[in-house]
Order: sequence, then C-alpha cells, then structure tokens
Amino acid sequence: MTFVQAMLLAVLQGVSELFPISSLGHTVLVPALLRWPVDEGSDAFLAFVVALHLGTALALLVFYRGDWVALARGFVASIVRGRVGDDPNERIAWLLVAGTIPVAVLGVLFESAVKRLFASPIPVACFLIANGLLMLLGEALRRRQHAGAAGHAYRELDRLPPRDGVAIGLAQSLALLPGISRSGSAIVAGLLCDLRHAAAARYSFLLATPVIFAASVLELPKLLVPEARPVLVESVAGAVLAGLTAYASVAFLTRWFRHNDLAPFAWYCILAGALALVLFTTKVIA
Amino acid sequence: MKQIALILAVIFLVVAVLYWTGIVLPHHVKHGILAFVLALLCLVWYRFQTASAAR
Repeated sequence: MTFVQAMLLAVLQGVSELFPISSLGHTVLVPALLRWPVDEGSDAFLAFVVALHLGTALALLVFYRGDWVALARGFVASIVRGRVGDDPNERIAWLLVAGTIPVAVLGVLFESAVKRLFASPIPVACFLIANGLLMLLGEALRRRQHAGAAGHAYRELDRLPPRDGVAIGLAQSLALLPGISRSGSAIVAGLLCDLRHAAAARYSFLLATPVIFAASVLELPKLLVPEARPVLVESVAGAVLAGLTAYASVAFLTRWFRHNDLAPFAWYCILAGALALVLFTTKVIA
Repeated sequence: MKQIALILAVIFLVVAVLYWTGIVLPHHVKHGILAFVLALLCLVWYRFQTASAAR
C-alpha cells in the first residue's frame, strides 16, 4: 500500500464511518475494486486501521465535547442521587448506556466470527444493497407512522423510553455485518421510535462514540507491535486525516438531517452495491 | 430486585477475573473488560434500588 493509497483510505474511513453507507463495507470493496495490494489480515494494516478509528473517535468526541461534558455530569449526578431525574442530560446519558450494552456484548462475542464469515466482496456488496433497502423501508414506515391526524407524534430524544434506547442499540449491532451501516441502522431505528431525523442522527453519533473509541483503545496494542513500525507515518497521518474528514462529515450530516432524509444515501448504497455485485460475480474484477 | 442486582454484579466480577486470569475460561482481555463493566452497571442498579427503597 502506497502513502497516497493510505491517505485515500483514511479519507474514505473518515467519511464512511459517519455517513450511513458502511465504512467496513467500503474498506473491503474499494481496495478490491481498485486492485490495491492491501493485505487486510496483516499486522501492519490492522495497526493502520486502529489509528484511523482512533482519529474518527477523537473527532466525534471533539465535535460533541459540550454534550459529553453535560452527559458525564448528568450520569454522575444520577448515581450520587440514586435516581434518574428529569434533567434531559441524565436521561440521555442512561439511554446511551442502555443502547451501548447490546452492541458491546454482541461486538465482543461475535465481531471476529462475523468478519471471518462475511468480509469478502460479494457478501459485502449484498449487505450494502440490503443497507440501502433498509433505509428506504425505514423512511416509508416513518412516513406511514406519522401520516394523517391519527399518526404518531414526534418525541424529543430525552423522552425516549429505555426499551427504545436498547432497541436502537440492538439495531446498531447490525453493523457487525460488513456492508450494513452503524449510523444508518441506528437512525432508521430512531425514526421508527418516533424521533425526528436530526434527533435520531444525534443519538446515533453519540451512541457510536463510546463504541468506536473503546474498540480503538482496546486495539491500541496493535499499534505498538514491531510489524506496525513501517506504517507509523501512514498511521499518524491517516489518523489526523480520518479525524478531520470525520469532523467535517458529522458537521455536514447534523445540518443535512435538519431538513433532509436518508433517501440519497439509500440509493447510493443500492447502486454501489449492485455495481460491485455485477463486477465481482461476472469476474470483471477477480 | 436489590438482591438480583448484587448477585449479578458478583457473578460478572467473577467472570471478569476468570477471563483475565485464564484459569477456567480462556484468556480474553476484552471479554473480561466487558464483564467488569457489566458488574459496575449492576452495582449502579443496586445503588438505584437501595436509594428508592430508602425514599
């Protein structure tokens, strides 16, 4: 992998981790489509990927720094008091805990096995199409849910019951399948729990932060192995670039979801997945 | 519920130690950390239960 390819992968990671288009799916598909000589199982590549995730997680932490300080205060206050009060930050902090448990348990237990089974181009292309269809279906169900006078009313994030927080966390676990987007599945689940797009996206990004951060911190030792030394410059530069693009992505998406929906991302996933599926099944690309 | 929270906390703590030491369960640092975090959450749950009983 050349320096330029490494930086392009960093930009790809920063963008696709937060856009609802599956970063894992793109990390498998793009090098295969462009025939880059990437050994995805090598220690050097794994160290590089850990650095990119760390950069992305730090960008999310910086973007939502005010929220995280308020949430941490609410979390500690509720434990000291022995009760979750009416403060929105306390309620959202516990929603995040409830939503993180399923993805943490399922991720720790099944991530390696799922990656081993499905992290090859054809299954990834199929899951990418499924990701697009899931988002279109979610949008259609949301429209039906809120249609007419008898439709559901929208809810604020802090009014979400804990079971819905867990349900959104479970939906986020679908992203263990390469090609299914973490933010996409969480936003769809949020919409079906009567959140508006902006609130569902905010909850999805807040929910993703501890997961990405913990996953990258737990994998940090991979950056310290001797095999990672040849890619040290690429890893550091890649982490910075992935962080910058992730910050720009989350800034763009929070504005996008104030007035727009998931449809363009859904169509992109369906088209990109279908194109990749045709190219790989017809052996145009081996 | 108080007792359940406490029992679960102890069980998760034991599981965490077993994963970290690798004595009975295979050595898995991540599994151990997850079990430890779940034990802490069970202790918080216990704290909530005792506080509501006191009120």
